[in-house]
Amino acid sequence: MPSKLAREVYVVGVGMHAFNNDAVPTALMADVAGTEALADANIEFSEVGALYNGHLGGGIGAGVHIAKEFGLTGIPVTHVENASATGSSAFGEAVHAVGGGRVEVAMALGFDDMNRVGGLGRNRGRRMGAEDVMLPAAFFGMWATRRMHDVGTTAETFAAISAKNWNHARANPYAQRRADHVVSVEKVLGSTMISYPHTSMMACASGGGAAAAIVASKEVAERLCEGRPMVRVTASQQRSETYTDGHVFLGAVIGPAQMTRDTAADAYEQAELGPDDLDLVQVHDAFPIEELVYYELLGICGDGEGDRLVAEGATTLGGRIPFSTDGGLTARGHPGGPTGLAQIHETTLQLRQEAGVRQIEGANTGLCHMAGAGSVCVVHILQREPMTRNY
Amino acid sequence: MTSTMLPTDPRLFRLPEGDETRPHLLGSFAPESGLYLWPRRRRCPVTRTEVQDVVLGAEGELFAWTFLHVPRMGSISFGDTGGYGVGQIDLPEGVRVQTPLMGTTDDWQIGTRMGMTTFPVGQDDDGNELVTFRFEAIR
Repeated sequence: MPSKLAREVYVVGVGMHAFNNDAVPTALMADVAGTEALADANIEFSEVGALYNGHLGGGIGAGVHIAKEFGLTGIPVTHVENASATGSSAFGEAVHAVGGGRVEVAMALGFDDMNRVGGLGRNRGRRMGAEDVMLPAAFFGMWATRRMHDVGTTAETFAAISAKNWNHARANPYAQRRADHVVSVEKVLGSTMISYPHTSMMACASGGGAAAAIVASKEVAERLCEGRPMVRVTASQQRSETYTDGHVFLGAVIGPAQMTRDTAADAYEQAELGPDDLDLVQVHDAFPIEELVYYELLGICGDGEGDRLVAEGATTLGGRIPFSTDGGLTARGHPGGPTGLAQIHETTLQLRQEAGVRQIEGANTGLCHMAGAGSVCVVHILQREPMTRNY
Repeated sequence: MTSTMLPTDPRLFRLPEGDETRPHLLGSFAPESGLYLWPRRRRCPVTRTEVQDVVLGAEGELFAWTFLHVPRMGSISFGDTGGYGVGQIDLPEGVRVQTPLMGTTDDWQIGTRMGMTTFPVGQDDDGNELVTFRFEAIR
């Protein structure tokens, strides 16, 4: 059963610190993203009723500690962690805090530097055993070889997806990987092999960054969104694993593919729309096999038809249904805390028609999908509403 | 002092016994759902009913594999192979196991018959040899 919102919730402000590999202090990046979101919403921090901080690194209390940067207002502050989906879960908590009537305004803030975070693949000092969790590169490499066996997917298709996302990021000032030239399929294929069939340019960027989103009730949103389109959260869904054939209990990075299909179905039901109604999609494209499979699990095309979507250029900016319009995890970057919120940032800009050269003409509905180790899946659907009157 | 071979985690697998040539994973069987599970569970995750301890088969079929050229956790050295393989093995009971692989990429094709084997990872403080498990192609 999909979760419900008791009242309408709107995104009233978004902000980011560019994703990077420059060892910028996480507190500074969080401050920049949060301050930018507050300015975008045109409110003071004192108007925020609850804060949800998505953060992987920093140890106990680090997520809560960052609230002191913004002000000691006494509001409830909660540290959220759901691996890659941390930012998405923080956003979901903020949405439900407003949607459930707890507060009128809530803020979700994600920040991290993955070069300072332990976790998957970094169990220092342990004797390696087969029982350890696999690196994501291994897990998704296995997804890819099985797909090649079942469907006949080629390495060129994986490279085409990644090249698309590198080229999308060229026009995103917040992206970590911004090439100064068009990235070709051949260039991606020729980069260092890291986990067959994935090369280094197919793997998500590892680095730091921060992103924030502020959500509010309709009454507050109508006051704040003067003269600009209102962006409504029409679905906010999260699931964990259910048992499926071949269930891997130990060592999997994320759970069965069915988890994404189920979470998306919940989101479509809540938003009362279907995949044909989407204008853009952001997904957990840590490796291109994921984006390819999510075309199908999100219902954009039938099972086994994702390769054709790539060949047609349907998921490129200018195509029928652009995916990872800001470069995705591949090129915009993937610090765990803020990634899901960067998706909200990009989708909000697109729906407000503020995405610059990346703008999708007439974008009205966007879906954001993240998967997190453990595992969870989070899906949000945002929709533009007519311009509010000027007050 | 005599060195003894020990599993890194005796809750997950046991070493060969008697005439056995291969180690075995230690799993659970849930009578109500008919599911075999690994690692051992306290209850069936589907029906939430009781489970029984079982020893799983030591051979299965390769469901998926990859070869990594990047560092992994722990202290395993690449040696002269330039990386290491990992795979998912489907056991006859319906359990899918994720595991490092022995051999080279020429040994692995989806559907290949694979058998469980041990792999040394060091010694404990008493000088006993610690082993984990891996799977290798059955020739």
